[in-house]
Amino acid sequence: MASSTTLLSRRQLLKIGVLGNGLSLSNYLRLNAAAAKQDTGRSAILVFLGGGPSHQDTFDLKPNAPSEYRGQFAPIATSAAGVEICEHMPRLARRAGKYAVLRGITHNLAAHGLGTRYLMTGNRPTPVVNYPMYGSVVSREFPAPEDLPSFVSIDRPVEGPGYLGPEYGPLSTGEKPRYGQPFRVRGITLGDGLTVDKYQSRRELLTDIDTAFDGFRQLDDSVRGLDRFSEQAYRIISSPRARDAFELSRESEREVARFGRHDFGQSMLLTTRLVEAGVRFVTVLLEGWDTHADNFNTLGRELLPRFDQSMSALLDRLDEQGRLDSTSILVTGEFGRTPKVNNKSGRDHWARAMCALMAGGDVVGGRVTGATDQKAEGPVSDGYTPDDLAATFFQNIGIDPKTEYEANVGRPITLVRDGETIPEVLS
Amino acid sequence: MQTDISTSAVCLFVGMLSTATFAAAEVTAPPASERFARADTEEVPGFQQHVVPLLGRLGCNGRACHGSFQGRGGFRLSLFGYDFKMDHAALTGRATSKDGLRVNQESPGESLIVRKPSMDVDHEGGQRFVAGSWEHHLLMRWVASGNLGVERPRELKTLKIEPSEIVFGDKAVSVQLRVVAVWQDGTREDVTGLCRFRTNDDAIVTVDREGRLHSTGHGDTHVIAFYDNGVKAVPVMRGMSGQAETKSAPLSATTEVDGFISAKLRKLGIAPSAICSDAEFLRRASIDLTGTLPTPDEVEQFLADPSSDKRHQKIDALLGRPAYAAWWANKLCDFTGCNPNRQAELGQETSLQWYTWIYDRLGRNVPYDELIEGIVLAKGRHEGQSYDDYAAERSAYFRDESPIDFTRRETMPHYWSRQTQQKPEEKALAFAHSFLGIRLQCAQCHKHPFAPWTQEDFKQFAAFFNNIQYGVAPGAKERYRELANQVGLSIRGKNGSPVRRDVLKHARAGRTVPWRELYVSERSGPASLDLLRTGIVELGPKSDSRIAIMGWMNEADNPWFARAFVNRVWASYFHIGIVDPPDDLNPANPPSNPELLDWLAASFVDRNYDMKWLHRQIVASQAYQRSWKPNDTNREDRRNFSRAIPRRIPAEVVYDGLKQAVAGSDQLDEVRNDLTRRAIGHLSMRLAGTYSMQVFGKPDRAVNCDCERVNQPTLLQSVFLQNDPLVEQRINESGWIQEIADSERAGNKVDRSKLIRAAWLRTVNRPPSAEETEKAEKHLAGVDSLSEGMRDLVWALINTKEFILNQ
Repeated sequence: MASSTTLLSRRQLLKIGVLGNGLSLSNYLRLNAAAAKQDTGRSAILVFLGGGPSHQDTFDLKPNAPSEYRGQFAPIATSAAGVEICEHMPRLARRAGKYAVLRGITHNLAAHGLGTRYLMTGNRPTPVVNYPMYGSVVSREFPAPEDLPSFVSIDRPVEGPGYLGPEYGPLSTGEKPRYGQPFRVRGITLGDGLTVDKYQSRRELLTDIDTAFDGFRQLDDSVRGLDRFSEQAYRIISSPRARDAFELSRESEREVARFGRHDFGQSMLLTTRLVEAGVRFVTVLLEGWDTHADNFNTLGRELLPRFDQSMSALLDRLDEQGRLDSTSILVTGEFGRTPKVNNKSGRDHWARAMCALMAGGDVVGGRVTGATDQKAEGPVSDGYTPDDLAATFFQNIGIDPKTEYEANVGRPITLVRDGETIPEVLS
Repeated sequence: MQTDISTSAVCLFVGMLSTATFAAAEVTAPPASERFARADTEEVPGFQQHVVPLLGRLGCNGRACHGSFQGRGGFRLSLFGYDFKMDHAALTGRATSKDGLRVNQESPGESLIVRKPSMDVDHEGGQRFVAGSWEHHLLMRWVASGNLGVERPRELKTLKIEPSEIVFGDKAVSVQLRVVAVWQDGTREDVTGLCRFRTNDDAIVTVDREGRLHSTGHGDTHVIAFYDNGVKAVPVMRGMSGQAETKSAPLSATTEVDGFISAKLRKLGIAPSAICSDAEFLRRASIDLTGTLPTPDEVEQFLADPSSDKRHQKIDALLGRPAYAAWWANKLCDFTGCNPNRQAELGQETSLQWYTWIYDRLGRNVPYDELIEGIVLAKGRHEGQSYDDYAAERSAYFRDESPIDFTRRETMPHYWSRQTQQKPEEKALAFAHSFLGIRLQCAQCHKHPFAPWTQEDFKQFAAFFNNIQYGVAPGAKERYRELANQVGLSIRGKNGSPVRRDVLKHARAGRTVPWRELYVSERSGPASLDLLRTGIVELGPKSDSRIAIMGWMNEADNPWFARAFVNRVWASYFHIGIVDPPDDLNPANPPSNPELLDWLAASFVDRNYDMKWLHRQIVASQAYQRSWKPNDTNREDRRNFSRAIPRRIPAEVVYDGLKQAVAGSDQLDEVRNDLTRRAIGHLSMRLAGTYSMQVFGKPDRAVNCDCERVNQPTLLQSVFLQNDPLVEQRINESGWIQEIADSERAGNKVDRSKLIRAAWLRTVNRPPSAEETEKAEKHLAGVDSLSEGMRDLVWALINTKEFILNQ
């Protein structure tokens, strides 16, 4: 483990108040300090395609399958030799060198809640341990600068910090940025009529009257923690950098249009700005993939064009800024969809096969890893598990997937117990 | 080894008396270190008694080494031992390396289990012993003497440790432990050298491999010895002031609870903090008993009340309020896992029924065992009820017109029908957590490291729940299908389907809809199961195994049932349980004050599980009513209740408290008393998983762990309180501040100091000091309008540590 953990003796830790089996505040402070040393400087983005995107209509097409399986979309060639994706993503086809396609990911939790938990934690859900979401692990290992939140969820959070504790939960913006409308970030944007000056004057009043524990502030964890976090919250709320990062109006109209004049485009633009500012983990949602009916219109007319545009813009912008190498990106849903098209032109839940994209960091672009069988029913050979996907994602962020945490359940828990990094994906 | 125990002048051995009892009567075999000191010994070591414990002590079967589920270097042992068959097979099987056999009886010295740990050949795990040591001889002898395994494991009766308690004096000294294993057959052996030892706090005492303790600091903790499946804790103390026991002044003890606590504090030379102020007491007790902040009027009246027993009166008054039943129903929902997202169907409705069923019983102060029995023995149908009547009754709970009251049901079946409780193993884990406060999950995969539980124990316990089913009972299938057809419910599989919202509308209209039911199915045959090592239970094919468990829990000397609950309740009033974590009762996690826990549990049972009695004992104690301000002796004490440790108020209390703090004068009572709109009450289910609840650590009730509720401060909480739209809305739309604005606009003369006083009373529930009033006045003078200034003041007050902490 990190050497700085040994610099503090247990005696000292006791003095600053370590107790119990859970992760105490002082443990947190200490680990924060320890983590900073091995920080890879990488940020990460999770694009969650909620609802379960149809793998065979996106990145794993089966043009030779019978028509009731292959559906309505045709594959197109991409800039990478031998890699084909759906015809409704021409922009991403031209950028195939910037991402890796993972096919043949497989599990058996075909319910939204459980599937999402599995994919967002890399551990099969159990009533015994509440596993942390990726972003919580990253914000624990690689905290952002003090005046920025480490982990932001645009709109609502996708799964929580689990055993790491609420300290590592996301700052959730509470809504999506909408094109052409002012955007309020929960907790960051000051409310109507509240200026920074006003906020600061309130803050002065607070400092003036918050004296009950004076003289004993170092005594107990809870008191120390409140002082520290209150100060950091103030720094974030009043920080020009944080406010600026969330301010989409600073983008040119051209840039706004490049990402797309829709919620998802603006969310992806915001994601980029947050990563550029120094936020370490961002989740962004594109929902609506639960296409039990009308799959092809929904995907072909709405979801795929949006995804194609905004994802391409995000990859381009990060690349232009030289940040793609230091940003690890994962695009996934919670499962795939039934191989056979149903009588409502839809596809139902199917966890035996799904696909994902990875980009940035050490990802080798322009390559497909894994495969499904002829009807996209299941992986060829064993396939990959969500655990493997998680291990690879963590590896690409610079976090050892076999890291152990002294979880609040009283025994050490391995971050991704059953998964192994998929070697072909990373250089 | 005996000589090591000789008493040093500064060291007291409270436990020496016990030595006599086991030294004299029986013969105790000398330690392995003596018996295997010579290479040419004729002794034959036992696999269970010597070889496996030695491998444990050497660390071989730890999780980082060969105990790992993947093994190490192709060699895997059972984690923490106790799977003798597997371990024996692993040792005597063929090694994968070219280095040879692990066990080589022809030339024992060539055995890898000797060569590897002595580093005769390369060993990734490093050197575990040196050639020629007794450990070396022991393993050699086992190999040479035929390397036998275990036919039937011997039963360990108990471990005896001397000294049984250690109180260090001020000068650091060391003490040697001596551990004797007593087997069921009466044989005894000194196993000190074969134990694993662990200290629970190495800032107080360290322990080495040989069982020698070194005092490292003040305070109290335990050293734990592990051997075979025995676990034994030895309390270790060192007085804070260095004048332990004799010199510290006797403390006045007013309640029985305080008697036990004072006794412990005296041993440690700790003087407790003074008693807290009336205002602190009122706020503290209101939050802990009812999840509610006191109102300004209540504070003023309480402070003005001259009667000497006003605190007792207040405790009784608080226990009589519906908010007590609501808040503690919410807590019991935590312990029993009432999660709206994990119900069999209709998550909101089902979890609300669950909550109100408990709420009703807490209000009537139904004994705890009776309440729990209604959950444990729950079935869908009442005695003798037909399926039709059952379905009609359950539908009638939802009837728009004169619905049947769910709380009048004798039993509450939803505990068993959760989506997460389908397998017997899941039921066993949840049951052990909810009602026994023990964690069995380790034993699902390997010998429990801190408790005697083996995988076999877990398997047997889980088998009790084999025939508890939620579905369509045999005999009801036809009627179920008919009802389903009538309301258009499509059924998947033979176990029926959840009632969906579109089906529920039929129930609303008064029709009967098809419900699955909780029932006890027939076992394939009689079963004979060990109930967590307390005795064998014989079960007939049709018997409800839960009756046996409930009967066992109801026995006065049940080790967990009452203890788990009193400890959890205690932990809710302090920052820590008497056992902590409170849901982890195991021999390696002993209580900080065993006498107190024993007394509370036994008296609780004697008082017929009277929950209000229990609350009263705790809240009326001096221990509960102490100030958070430390003195020189108790500054570092966090285990013995010598002062109050500030706790962050729970998520639900934050939510309700914010609402109450800004409510209009005519709304103050309603926001408190309408429990259907309170986060501590009925609203708890609706709020589950919402942002504010997540930020403040309200438990999801998704895993079997009390640790799900987190009351520790975080950055996002500060961001929330300073700038969340919800907080802003509360302040901007405050009925109270609106009144001030209206009055200001009407040109009425306002008494500023009165408003300032009200602001303090509403938030931190005490009057402001003169200095604080002055600071507030100064701020109000510098803003454009009084209402604006009051908004600032309320904002500032809810952001003080005093607001968010229960101190």
